[in-house]
Amino acid sequence: MTKIPSYYQTQIFAENPVSRIYFGFIALTVLLVIFFALDIFSGSIGISPAETLNILTGNSDSPYSAIIMKFRIPKALTAVFAGVALSVSGLQMQTLFRNPMAGPDVLGISSGASLGVAFVILGFSSLIPAGNISGLGNWLLIASACAGAGIVMIVIMLLAIRVRDILTVLILGIMIAGGISSIVIILQYFTSETMLRAYVIWTMGSLGNLTPDQLRILGITITAGLLISLVTLKMLNALLLGETYATSIGVNIRFARGLVFLSTSILAGSITAFCGPIGFIGIAVPHIARMLFRTSNHKVLLPATIITGAIVMLLSDIISQLPGSDKVLPVNSVTSLLGIPVVIWVIVKGRIIKSAV
Amino acid sequence: MKPDPNLLLSVVDLGIGFPERLIIPSINASVFSGELVSVIGHNGTGKSTLLGTLAGIRKKLAGEIRINGKDTSVMSRKEFASMVGYVSTEQVNAPDMKVYDLVALGRFAYTNWMGSITGEDKKIIFDSIEKVGLSRLMYRNIGELSDGEKQRAMIARVLAQDTSLLIMDEPTAFLDLRNRYEIIHLLQSLAVSGKKTIILSTHDLQSALGESDKIWLLTDGALEEGAPEDLVLKGSFDNLFGESLLKFRKSDGNFYPVREEKESVCIRGEGLMKQWTIRAMKRLGFRIKEIVSVNEITITSDERNNEWKVQKGEKHLVFNSIYSMVYWIKKNNA
Repeated sequence: MTKIPSYYQTQIFAENPVSRIYFGFIALTVLLVIFFALDIFSGSIGISPAETLNILTGNSDSPYSAIIMKFRIPKALTAVFAGVALSVSGLQMQTLFRNPMAGPDVLGISSGASLGVAFVILGFSSLIPAGNISGLGNWLLIASACAGAGIVMIVIMLLAIRVRDILTVLILGIMIAGGISSIVIILQYFTSETMLRAYVIWTMGSLGNLTPDQLRILGITITAGLLISLVTLKMLNALLLGETYATSIGVNIRFARGLVFLSTSILAGSITAFCGPIGFIGIAVPHIARMLFRTSNHKVLLPATIITGAIVMLLSDIISQLPGSDKVLPVNSVTSLLGIPVVIWVIVKGRIIKSAV
Repeated sequence: MKPDPNLLLSVVDLGIGFPERLIIPSINASVFSGELVSVIGHNGTGKSTLLGTLAGIRKKLAGEIRINGKDTSVMSRKEFASMVGYVSTEQVNAPDMKVYDLVALGRFAYTNWMGSITGEDKKIIFDSIEKVGLSRLMYRNIGELSDGEKQRAMIARVLAQDTSLLIMDEPTAFLDLRNRYEIIHLLQSLAVSGKKTIILSTHDLQSALGESDKIWLLTDGALEEGAPEDLVLKGSFDNLFGESLLKFRKSDGNFYPVREEKESVCIRGEGLMKQWTIRAMKRLGFRIKEIVSVNEITITSDERNNEWKVQKGEKHLVFNSIYSMVYWIKKNNA
């Protein structure tokens, strides 16, 4: 009876959706390239596609060259970073908390990062010469945002261990976010008008204000966060079983949690530090990836989430340019309008992981 | 003294419970390779706590657990996971997880940091799925499985974990009769042919007494172990239900409901029909007698005509089913 039946060898490809996975990744990659290009081609200043192409290939010394090279390409790269980072942190949080509604913005992680940013901009800004948020200032901003995100993450996890109910945890997340915004308001009350203005502009979220220095720092931190998330892949798959079974198959829960915390705080924290709070990408994109690939395996879901996150963020940026007009919308209102329907769809369709135990 | 090489698990002065509430202060027990051990006891006596502690999910409060002679507290998680597997009533509910994915997770302790499945792992996974009879549903989402199939998938996962000891906390709770029987049968065959050692908790005393090599009987703050027959002879089950409605009968090892006997009834006839008629009357609380007075009921079961003749005083009636007869008796004896 221990002989393996022969039919699995013939049926494995019929039932195992391997072809779907290959096809899905090819399609997503093509879409990513298209949207990246579209994002460079669109902007508030009309530059014809032909001219853009010339600039990109280096065959033109058009006056618009600076706009493409110094503004649009860095902005598109930032969009990719932001989409990837927020989506991956959302995916990891949804699995860790076993809560389909988890995401950096929903559970107050982004708020924690905002508080970190507020401390730097509103609190310590008097120590740094105004207008000179570069060099050490950038790292301080990122470190502070990541620390803020990490602290909230730990608080939420401690609460989630006690109350395992999904909705209760979400409400606690809202409470924490509320508490944090009160602290931020107090900080605002005591700060100078210029710094207040800088902070308010930051809260609107923007992909286009990064200096080359900041973009480089963002590249480093996002890469670090993604590398850590690679190490968590195997554990994330095991955590789908719930903590009891995960422990029984050999997962060190504390270690797994620690790594996910670290990765998520770095990813969500550094994007929030430089781009402002960008909502609903983290919660919605993992669901789109699951819908596309119909799997629970994070070895498929992580790359799928990475590419989908980049595509959705590029799309949001393109929409925020309002193609054909010279007006620009705040990008985080676009991501909300794109993300919210997905979240509602997830709730309505009841693809809710039951609360643990 | 050299320990018996077949001794798989030994528990020495083990204290279980919660940090703030000790449930059982000191447990001494042992299990040999290939045994099927049933843990029985009322709710709240610590069955799940004991199994969780043995499975490494809960912290022990005192004492020692040794597997193959090695203290489990000095083992790494992976080493422990390659020796002890665990299944409970808790069901896994992850969207889009396939049976294959679930079972493959059993290989966690053996795979590399990426969790890559090798050819050898794959063979073990397919084998495990085959053993529980789920090969046809290998690429089905676990959310689409029935409760019985889900529990089979959970067992396949623990088989893929390739441990010599399986700890199962009420593996058949919430299953219907057929599934329950099939799972128990599966576990037995695993214990016999698969050389697995199984410790399971159950509320099904009948099959625990009939099928286990050893019983761990949990009562308030203590564990008593022994072959089921030993415990019967010692009288350990006699007061399991206290002064309540179930009584253990030593002569046949069954539990019987205690009923207040009312009137007497005489039953004539033969064969199965008579036997089941007697049973129906016992259920109603009648005492069965050979001779009864005129005012009591006499039933004659007639196998040839498939009918029951009832006589009570002046009344003579004929029924074509036990149900209609019982209905009449209930109405007239009210």
